[in-house]
Amino acid sequence: MLEEIGFTEIEVSAPFDTFGGAGGEKNARAFDVSGYTFMAVKPM
Amino acid sequence: MTDTLPVDSASLREEVKIKYREVASEPNRQYHFHTGRPLTRRLEYDPVFVEALPDAAVESFAGVANPFVLRHLNEDDKVVDAGSGAGFDCFVAADQVGDVGRVVGVDMLPEMLEKSGRTAADLGLANVEFREGLLEELPVEDGWADVVISNGVFNLCADKRRVFAEVWRVLRPGGRIQFGDIANGNPVPEAAIRDIDLWTA
Repeated sequence: MLEEIGFTEIEVSAPFDTFGGAGGEKNARAFDVSGYTFMAVKPM
Repeated sequence: MTDTLPVDSASLREEVKIKYREVASEPNRQYHFHTGRPLTRRLEYDPVFVEALPDAAVESFAGVANPFVLRHLNEDDKVVDAGSGAGFDCFVAADQVGDVGRVVGVDMLPEMLEKSGRTAADLGLANVEFREGLLEELPVEDGWADVVISNGVFNLCADKRRVFAEVWRVLRPGGRIQFGDIANGNPVPEAAIRDIDLWTA
């Protein structure tokens, strides 16, 4: 979607175990959900 | 509801308000997600910086990643935090952009805005302000921002295309978006995607 909007130079971080040990961990594990940092540039 | 959206935007927004009012007023309750200082450690924020902040600045933090992990902000950046909550990422941004930079936090919840504004005043931060608004209609002029940050909020918006278009509008050419969000490695069933309760549960 970022590319469709027009963003370029998209970067994604390594995953964070955002939900490990939290109440929602079961659903997070079932769908392999992790947190990520995304970065992208609006071209000149 | 727009046919192409999985859930109704307004209904989802009301569910989100209920959940995050609780996070603002009862940050130490058990939620399905982590909050506060333990979460900042999990997401690799600078522990020295976080330790120096008062509890009010950190306790309601409920992000899902670290918007600053791929790149720090520049000292004079103008920054918008889309969905600023109780202000934690704004306080991190304010430290990075310094006195010349500027940080605008946008949130839809009066409870969060009251908390973030009070904390910013207590910290004596003159380079941060908070505005009430929706991510779909950011109260920021065209091309103002060098950087838009966000953390765990886009995933709570039904119309993500509209939100990203709004980010595009407020960014200057050459500006960038740095945001934390969640992604799933396994497919989520269509019925679950359309179950509004699961978006915030």
